Amino acid sequence: MSYGYGAAPGGQPGGFPGGFPGQQQDPLFGYFSAVAGQDGQISAEELQACLTQANFSGGYKPFNLETCRLMINMLDRDMSGQMGFNEFKELWAVMNGWKQHFMSIDRDMSGTVDAQEMNQAICSMGYRLSPQAMNIIVKRYSTHGKITFDDYVACCVKLRSLTDIFRRRDQAQQGAATFQYDDFIQCIMST
Amino acid sequence: MAYHNQYRPPHYNQAPPDQAFLWNIFQRVDKDRSGAISDTELQQALSNGTWTPFNPVTVRSIISMFDRENKGGVNFNEFAGVWKYITDWQNIFRTYDRDNSGFIDKNELKQALTGFGYRLSDQFYNTLIEKFDRQRKGQVAFDDFIQCCIVLQRLTDVFRRYDTDQDGWIQVSYEQYLSMVFNIV
Repeated sequence: MSYGYGAAPGGQPGGFPGGFPGQQQDPLFGYFSAVAGQDGQISAEELQACLTQANFSGGYKPFNLETCRLMINMLDRDMSGQMGFNEFKELWAVMNGWKQHFMSIDRDMSGTVDAQEMNQAICSMGYRLSPQAMNIIVKRYSTHGKITFDDYVACCVKLRSLTDIFRRRDQAQQGAATFQYDDFIQCIMST
Repeated sequence: MAYHNQYRPPHYNQAPPDQAFLWNIFQRVDKDRSGAISDTELQQALSNGTWTPFNPVTVRSIISMFDRENKGGVNFNEFAGVWKYITDWQNIFRTYDRDNSGFIDKNELKQALTGFGYRLSDQFYNTLIEKFDRQRKGQVAFDDFIQCCIVLQRLTDVFRRYDTDQDGWIQVSYEQYLSMVFNIV
């Protein structure tokens, strides 16, 4: 299975004349510092403010906070619940990929996708799921049959984390995993 | 961790509120007079005791639990169930919120869930607080506490369904696994 990470980030690190050393060369860094504030780390709330301002959700609606938490958890290697610059850069690239992917399936540019479009999107990311499983997922993330961008992202993140968890417990790659009760509950709760 | 024992919150044996009392409340909550209370109407009527909006996910969970015909709301008959459900939780919450802070901290949460029959590791309580603490206080408010218990109970139920020999282990296919999880969280 492959995962739909979409395209690489658009902006290349700019070569400023007489440039600054290290990561300050990255044009994203200025943006990152503005969002992160003094502690140099981005929390879920700061990420929400930033993504809302960048109008990722469209219509200037606040970006779903729960989705922000999921994204931070997904990339949070040091388990701090916060995001440093490198993690932010990675997220930015992933988000742009998802946004492009989302826009390509949202043919009528309505800002939302319907169940069938979502179906195709999940398939095109390389997941092979039965219509029943697909139905459950789509139902979980849609409101009145429509899926917004932030819910779409939440779905992508969740599917990715859950699949990682499953795969780690399916050593033989047979498509069957074994879970103990506490392991199961803990895995699901932490995604 | 063990999950075989009884793991549901105790039911309080109090006299059911009389119909006129409930009807009065129902009418006040049903603002658009549609005969059914929607998510939004219920959310506005509920208080988590901290002056912040009641967790919409908890509201959705509760409505869907009692909404038999999937109409997106509860009628008067179903509302009686909702009322009892919430007041039961309120009593439980008050029992464990010993300092009356409106929040349950890790120790209080541990006592509550242990009281329901769960045996969970100490570290797991950190995960729970992390997940359900919407207000980022290191503790959970009333609405988030309900949601925590609902999710824990559903995950346990779904696990038990697959654990036919009751040994605390399950083997599931990828599809079964995804369906289990997406149906709940």
